[in-house]
Amino acid sequence: MKQKFLTKDNFKIFVEALAGTYDVYHIEKDIHGNLHLVRFSGSFGDGGNADNIVIGGVRPFEPLKNFFFMSREKVVDGYKKSEEARNDKRKPFCIIGVKNCDLIGMDTQDFVFLQGDFKDPFYIKNRENNLIIGADCTYAIDTCFCHSLGIEHYPQKHYDILLSTLEKGYLIEGRTERGLKFLERHSGIFGDVDERYIEERDHIRKHAGEQVDENIRKNNIPHCSEFGEIIKVNLESPIWETEVKTCVECGSCNVVCPTCHCFYLADSTASGNKEVRYKMWDACMYKRFASVAGGANARPHLWMRLRNRFEKKFDFFPDVAGFYACTGCGRCFSGCPAKIDIRRVLKNLVAEKNAKKAKNE
Amino acid sequence: MNNPYCPVKGRITDIIEETPVIKTFKLKLDKNIPFKTGQFVEMTVPGIGEAPFTPSSNPKIEDTMDLTIMKAGRVTSVLHGMNAGDEIAVRGPYGAGYPLRDFEGKEILIVGGGVGLAPLRSLILALLNERKKYKRVVVKYGSRSPKDIVYKNLIKEWAGNKDLELEVTVDVRDETWKGNVGLITTLVKRDMGIDMANSVVVVCGPPIMMKFTTFKLIDIGYEPRSIHLSMEKNMSCGLGKCGHCRIGPYYACKDGPVFTYDKLSGLHGIWE
Repeated sequence: MKQKFLTKDNFKIFVEALAGTYDVYHIEKDIHGNLHLVRFSGSFGDGGNADNIVIGGVRPFEPLKNFFFMSREKVVDGYKKSEEARNDKRKPFCIIGVKNCDLIGMDTQDFVFLQGDFKDPFYIKNRENNLIIGADCTYAIDTCFCHSLGIEHYPQKHYDILLSTLEKGYLIEGRTERGLKFLERHSGIFGDVDERYIEERDHIRKHAGEQVDENIRKNNIPHCSEFGEIIKVNLESPIWETEVKTCVECGSCNVVCPTCHCFYLADSTASGNKEVRYKMWDACMYKRFASVAGGANARPHLWMRLRNRFEKKFDFFPDVAGFYACTGCGRCFSGCPAKIDIRRVLKNLVAEKNAKKAKNE
Repeated sequence: MNNPYCPVKGRITDIIEETPVIKTFKLKLDKNIPFKTGQFVEMTVPGIGEAPFTPSSNPKIEDTMDLTIMKAGRVTSVLHGMNAGDEIAVRGPYGAGYPLRDFEGKEILIVGGGVGLAPLRSLILALLNERKKYKRVVVKYGSRSPKDIVYKNLIKEWAGNKDLELEVTVDVRDETWKGNVGLITTLVKRDMGIDMANSVVVVCGPPIMMKFTTFKLIDIGYEPRSIHLSMEKNMSCGLGKCGHCRIGPYYACKDGPVFTYDKLSGLHGIWE
C-alpha cells in the first residue's frame, strides 16, 4: 500500500483494531511532560478519546530493546524439558510510535543475538510476529543528537508501519508484508493522500531536523566521521578519570541504552525448582562485571569501566560489526545522576585525538 | 530450537583430592559432550550457578569428563562440599581450543603453574595420543610448594615416560622436596636446548605467572605468535553474547580462550 491518510477520529478505530490482534503499547506524556511507554487497556470505552497517545514527539524514556532482550527472562525451567527452547504462548505485541534512535539500536541487538555460531532462541521468538509502528520525531529535546551518529530523526528500518504526524491526522505507510497486510485488512478507515500531505510531512521533518542540528551546533558535538581511533589513541587519556569522578555506579546508563546488550545468567531456587535459570540485564559499570573467582578483575577501577563502555560502543562494534553502538538518543546522560554526558566525552576524545595528531605532524 | 542456555544433567562419579584446595571431579553426563582439548565448558551446580572450566581429561575419552577445580569462588566453594553421586549439569563445549594442527612437526614447550596444569593435562594427553606427529613434548611445571602440586601420581608416571621431557619446580621447598626450587621462570632459559625457530609454547597458570613467563619467553627469543596463552576471563554465557569476557576486539569465550600473544599484546586488562 502506498501512503494513506488516517484522520484523528479514525486513529481510535485503528488502535482498537490493533488491540484485536496485538498487545498494544504506546507513548504517553506524564504529569511532568516526560514521555513513557505504557500498555493500552484494549479499548477506549464509550466516549473515550485517544488524546493521551503520543505518536510524534521524541523517544520515550524506556528503550525499545526491553521487548526483545527483556530485563529478566526465564531461559531454563527444568534441564530436561528446556533442551528445546520453550515455545512462548505470549500474545504478539505492537508498539506504536517507535522512534529511529530505538529502531537503529536494534542493529546492535540483532547483531549480538541473531549472528554468530550461537543464536538466541528467546530473542528470535521475541522478534517474531510482533508489529512495530515507527513514527517521525516532530521535535527534538535538548538531549537529542542522532544526526551526529549519521542517524535520521525519522524511521529508516526495522519497522512494519510508519506514522507521520500531520496537523489533522497521520500519514500512514506499510513497509513489511506484515504491516501491509494489516493495513489492507483495515483499508476502509484510510483516506487518500495528495501532495499537500507529503509537503506537510516534509516540512515537519525538516523543522524537527533543524532542532537536532541546532542541539549539535550549540553543544559543539562532533560528527561520527571524526570518531575513528578516538578510543585507540586515548586508552590512557586522563579524560576517563576526569569524567568518571561523579559516577555512582548505578548502571542506569546501561539499562536505558538501546544498544547495551550485556546480561548475566542467574540460577534461582525461588520456585522450589533448582533447575531454573534467568537471563538478566547486566551493567558494565558495576565493579564485579569483569571479575573472576579468586578476585582478579580486568577493570578494577571505575575509570576503566567508563573507558570500557566507550570502547565497546565506539571501537569494538565498529571493528566487529561495522557500526557505532550509539544512536544519539541521549538517554544515558538524561538518566545519569552524575551528569556524565556522552556528548562531552566524545567532544573531549575527538579534541584530544586531534591535538595528538597535530603534535605528531 | 536448541536452547544454548540449558545444560545437560549429569553426576559426579568420583572425586580426587589433588591438594587441600584443588579437587578433580570425574563426571558422567546423561548425554556425552565431546570436546577438543583447550575448549571449555560451563558447569552448573543446580540452584547455585555455573562457572567455566577447561576439562583436564583426554579428549579421546567421550563418556566421562574430568574437571580439576580450585576452591576460589561462590560456585566452586559449594562444589568442593559435594560428593560422588551428586547431581551437576554441564553445557558446552565452547571456544576454539588448542590449534593442534599448527603444533605438528614442532617442539612443543608446555609451561604450567598451579592449577593451570588442568587444561595442560588434557593437552598433554591429546599430544600423547598421536605422539608421532610432534617432534618433542617438553613440560615445565611450577607450583607454590610440594603439597600444592596437582596430579602427583600422573607426574610420577610422566617423569618415567620417554615420550615427554618433564621438569618440576616449587617456589618454596619443604623437608620432603629434593627437586628444583625457584619460580617457573627459572626453568625457561635460552639454553634449555629447544630449537625456538621450530617451537611453540603453551602457557597456562595464574595471571602473574602467565605475565612473567610470557615476558621471559619473549626475552629469550620466542616470537609472540608462537606463544599460546589461556585467558581466564569472566566467561559467563560462553556464546559470545553476554559481554563479560571481552578483551579488545575479542571475546575470550568465542575467540579464545587460547590466544597467541601477538593478538593480545597491546590490549589492556589481559593479565588481570
